[in-house]
Amino acid sequence: MTMRDRRVTLLALAAAIAASALAVLVAQQASPPTTASGAATNWTPTRTPDGQPDIQGTWTNYTSTPFEVPDKSDTPDVYAGDLDGSGRGTGPSSFLTDTSGRQLTKARSLVVDPPSGRVPIMPWAEERRNYKLAHIQDDWVNFTPWERCITRGVPGGIFPAGYGSGYQILQGPGYVAIVYEMIHEARIIPVDGRPHLGASFRLWNGDSRGRWEGNTLVVDITGYNDKGSVATNVATQRVRAIPQSEALHVVERFTRVDENTINYDVAIEDPKVFTAPWKVAMPLHREPDYQLFEYACHEGNRAVPNTLSAGRARDRETRSGGSR
Amino acid sequence: MRTSRLFAAALLAVLAAGAPLAAHHSFAAEFDGNKPVTLKGTITKMEWTNPHAWLHVDVKGADGKVVAWMIEGGAPNALLRRGWNRESVAPGTAIVVQGFRARDGSNRASGGDVTLPDGKKLFIGSTGTGAPGDRPEPGGKK
Repeated sequence: MTMRDRRVTLLALAAAIAASALAVLVAQQASPPTTASGAATNWTPTRTPDGQPDIQGTWTNYTSTPFEVPDKSDTPDVYAGDLDGSGRGTGPSSFLTDTSGRQLTKARSLVVDPPSGRVPIMPWAEERRNYKLAHIQDDWVNFTPWERCITRGVPGGIFPAGYGSGYQILQGPGYVAIVYEMIHEARIIPVDGRPHLGASFRLWNGDSRGRWEGNTLVVDITGYNDKGSVATNVATQRVRAIPQSEALHVVERFTRVDENTINYDVAIEDPKVFTAPWKVAMPLHREPDYQLFEYACHEGNRAVPNTLSAGRARDRETRSGGSR
Repeated sequence: MRTSRLFAAALLAVLAAGAPLAAHHSFAAEFDGNKPVTLKGTITKMEWTNPHAWLHVDVKGADGKVVAWMIEGGAPNALLRRGWNRESVAPGTAIVVQGFRARDGSNRASGGDVTLPDGKKLFIGSTGTGAPGDRPEPGGKK
């Protein structure tokens, strides 16, 4: 049995078992405020000195939930950048990375809307992703912003990656700040009612403006450039490296539903890229003892030159008639 | 109970279409899964750099010539949480490292298992790269 055959067999087995066991769980994520176990809550957060609901602390996003509901049309080798179709661009998933002893959320998919659990991606955007992943050895522009150490994106930077999973939230008068362990990013979100910057500003991560609706922090994000992607990590599967347009509009909602849980959900619309809005929901778990490590991504990012040099070696072999 | 929970989690992981997770970049774009290499040598330096750590190893060939190799590891925060520390990679330590060669033919490799002088093995690679032998963290999947 080849590696690929084994994977297909395992997939089929997993699908059969997981589909019956887990169908119940996904609905629980879509209706905050609830606890992680799905029960309604009347929990009231304390307030910061300037009166904001207090969501400060160190939070992690470890999960066992796949990003999308798998489909037979999926081509995980392509999403993972398996250039020669050997099956070696993909491998055993590492959802258990760093998760020992941790609470793992297990649901059908992180994508909760549409109910299919599938992101409504336009065909051109999938083709664009496929081209860039297949030609990653040819040009640095084909790398995702994460591989280039620019950003994991907003909201992509908060989607689970399996490591570098810490988020520190800090609040000061008029502001909420979120420090992302990976890749060493800090978002400073005004909650003082100021307007968006305006259409002349185009940013990799857009322009975040927050407001409190009861105990929920609502962050409205516009002003994106068209260079990034809403998701960059391979854990986001089919959505990784899908381009974003300047029309991207994101609304995040952070609701602390108990001492140890923030329900995070995000609505994403980009009429140039997706045929309909879609939504991700997942919990963030309070983990006061978790230490965020520095992730100074540029200091040793040899992946870009080494990948390009791999491509040039391939070109030389091709020109000389050699086979790989 | 714990075992069954882990099993369910593992199944879910597989359900995720075999999607690799943790790598910062694609294994296959840079390294060749068809070119495994086993290097026996002496550590000269560990670079605890992001997004990937790099282990430098002097390897003496059959002709007695010493060749410097660079072994790509996971991110420092992942390695630290996996049990790597300063002592694991002290310069002068004799190790055996298994990996896969760079596609451009240079003396670089994507690292896998590293065997220390006491026989203890530590996995230095990036989980989820899709490299052959890639696997979840010790302490995770049983």
